[in-house]
Amino acid sequence: MFELKPMLSALWRNKVSALLIALQLALTLAIVSNASAIVKDRMEQVARPTGMDVENIIAVAYMPIPTEYDMAGAVVADLDLLRSTPGVVDASVTNQIPLSGSGSAGTYFTEPNQEIGGENANYYQVDSHFINTLGLNLIEGRSFVPADEHVIGPNDQYHSKMAVVSKQFAEKLYPGESAIGKFFYSGANDNPVEIIGVVEQHLGAWPGWSRAGNVVFFPLLVTGNHKRYLIRTEPGQRDEVFKKVEDLLNNRDPQRVVQVETLSENVQRTYISDNIMIKVLSLVMALLTFIVALGIIGLTIFWINQRTKQIGIRRALGATRANISRYFLVENALIAGTGLGLGTAGALIINQLMVSEFSQPALTLPLLAVCAIVLLLVSVAAALMPAMRAANISPAMATRSV
Amino acid sequence: MIGYYISLAIRSLRGTPILSALMIAAIAVGVGASMTVLTLNYMMSQNALEHKDKVLYAVQLDSWDPNQAADTANEIPWQLTYPDAVALLRSDIPTRQVAMHRFGFTVNLDESDMRPFTANTRVTTRDFFSLFDVPFEYGGTWNKEADSAAVQSVVLSKETNEKLFGGENSIGKVVKLNGEPFTVVGVLKHWNPSPKIYDLNNNPFADAEELYIPFGLHRKYEIYSWGNTNGWTSSAPEGAEGYERFLLGEHVWIQFWVELDNAEQKEAYEQFLTGYIRQQKEQGRFERPLKFALSHPSEWLVLNEVLDNDNRVLGWASLAFLLVCVVNAVALLLAKFLRKAPEAGVRRALGASRNAIFTQHLIESSCIGVLGGLLGIVLALAGLTGIRALAMGQVDQIATMNWEMMLAAVGLAIFASILAGLYPAWRISRTNPSVYLKTQ
Repeated sequence: MFELKPMLSALWRNKVSALLIALQLALTLAIVSNASAIVKDRMEQVARPTGMDVENIIAVAYMPIPTEYDMAGAVVADLDLLRSTPGVVDASVTNQIPLSGSGSAGTYFTEPNQEIGGENANYYQVDSHFINTLGLNLIEGRSFVPADEHVIGPNDQYHSKMAVVSKQFAEKLYPGESAIGKFFYSGANDNPVEIIGVVEQHLGAWPGWSRAGNVVFFPLLVTGNHKRYLIRTEPGQRDEVFKKVEDLLNNRDPQRVVQVETLSENVQRTYISDNIMIKVLSLVMALLTFIVALGIIGLTIFWINQRTKQIGIRRALGATRANISRYFLVENALIAGTGLGLGTAGALIINQLMVSEFSQPALTLPLLAVCAIVLLLVSVAAALMPAMRAANISPAMATRSV
Repeated sequence: MIGYYISLAIRSLRGTPILSALMIAAIAVGVGASMTVLTLNYMMSQNALEHKDKVLYAVQLDSWDPNQAADTANEIPWQLTYPDAVALLRSDIPTRQVAMHRFGFTVNLDESDMRPFTANTRVTTRDFFSLFDVPFEYGGTWNKEADSAAVQSVVLSKETNEKLFGGENSIGKVVKLNGEPFTVVGVLKHWNPSPKIYDLNNNPFADAEELYIPFGLHRKYEIYSWGNTNGWTSSAPEGAEGYERFLLGEHVWIQFWVELDNAEQKEAYEQFLTGYIRQQKEQGRFERPLKFALSHPSEWLVLNEVLDNDNRVLGWASLAFLLVCVVNAVALLLAKFLRKAPEAGVRRALGASRNAIFTQHLIESSCIGVLGGLLGIVLALAGLTGIRALAMGQVDQIATMNWEMMLAAVGLAIFASILAGLYPAWRISRTNPSVYLKTQ
């Protein structure tokens, strides 16, 4: 009923053009499906919950000018000042800014005096206000209290006696049981660290790290030649507070250089390369589809022009307008189907390379199917306009010479 | 004849404006996308030390954990421990050698209203400037003794000298770093290699440092690294406490480069390194199998994966994109040329050779290529601007197009359109003139 036989023989005479369309669609499917696998993976990366109230947090880094500086005293005075500022919910001192790409990590063991088989975690040195300042969700145990805090010099050998850990890390150390009251050890020493609390989620300093989400917090202030604060504001108050922070700190003590940033800026900078991949590849996919559609429109118009006489004869012999349109649409679907079939194979081969050579995500079949269907629809839609025009060719055309 | 063909081509392009515009657009978009990505990748792979590539070496020693190799491309730590760096500096084999790392100071001046600022600083030995070809505006590097003794000298970048002293010759003036007086001994000319080949650990596309201070100051100011510091054990030499414990412990944080001018010198240095590691093994260090690496700058760029997987994927994606555009142009050109087949038939009947027809059509497709290429450059410039915006200023130095890349863009466009035109032009040159003469 679809006039398949005459259609195929007509196609055979135009085989190069048809093949070129099919080839374009095959290449497009291979590129678009792999690109969308990468885009999907990166979007999931960026969308991972951070566990924090990112929008309302301000990060401060400062360096005192004099070499000899009472860091511990400055921290207490600064934090008192910041916490009493209107619009501020809480403020805390930390050795690293979350998601900033700069931080510290250690290897931890469930038994003392081990050298291999430990679990890596990103560690923070913070005060008792930290969990509240970040807005972390404490799901088990307790947060630190001021009595837990310790102040040490940058070169002192001191090991924290307790820690709050992320749920992910707790489950790595003690799978299937509560970690509260249990201990872990850092390397070749037998200093036990007790787990006193577990927070639901925290990505740590490096979201791109293979162990991102393994996080340990110690109640410790290490004095040294620079320090960092985090400040959480009331919703909507961030920008107001942001403007004041540098002056507040400089007025309290001008003997230092202060840098203030919002946590959102840090997060954005951390995800730059993911965002570039997402945007560039999305643009590539859109442009490719567009160009292929233009190509199909151009070529279908050309074919129809070539076959004006044939169409006129068929109309004169009783073919309806719908018959004519359908002819070109089915023809297009045949070509597109061939191309997409080839493209599916191509997509899978390219994906093998992507996974093995460039450590990119694997392409799933549902995603491949979605891409193929979208391209088929685009292809048919592109052929629609010329096919409708073809139907308008009058039977009288058959009697005229071209 | 060529001039005539070009005028024919232009006339033909005007004759079918929509089809021609489609083809030009396809080539332009393909060239624009590929040139955006290829420019980035090309700029990222630049080697600022190309001219000295044969004589410079980054040094790596395997001082790592006996139980587990270092997590780097060649399983040797990127950096050295402080004791190893100091020991290697004692060798007189290399023509020049540099031990260094990144650090930061607050900077201010006495009797000045200028607001203090933090400056990125390189803590380094005096050969840094000659080994990496850093040009001086005023003065020069510090004395040899400053590499091992605490001498408060500083070299300023051109930009820092402008900020502090308005660009005048500031040799002999005093700058306060963390509140301590440092004497200016040198001021650089503008110098900002990208990628920052001498330090690829910390963002290879960051700007060069603002200050340079001697390597002999570590103990005096308890200097740590503002870069990667990695350790695998907390053990340290007997009796070392406080900062000494950190300094002498098994932490890698010092970058090390040498200049070896010929094969004999290199061989001697390799023997020296082998001997050093053997001697350390006797003292219970370097428990892994004896391994070190000397890498030329070009090898160092590859080893550090400055051009990462994402860049390569984008590079291939953009070339595949161009391929689709070329296939598209082949299909459209074929349609266009076949439509004009009667015209070619007449020319053939009037005596034009097949070659002439072929050349004429190939020239027509090259014209499309030139126009597509010019438009492609505009698109690539727009693409690079977009990337600069997305990268929040982190790639400003590399996301720019120079004349070579612009010429390359036109070249790529012409190549693509000739490639696209070959088959259609051949096909049209083979047509039998009589068929068309009849229907006329």
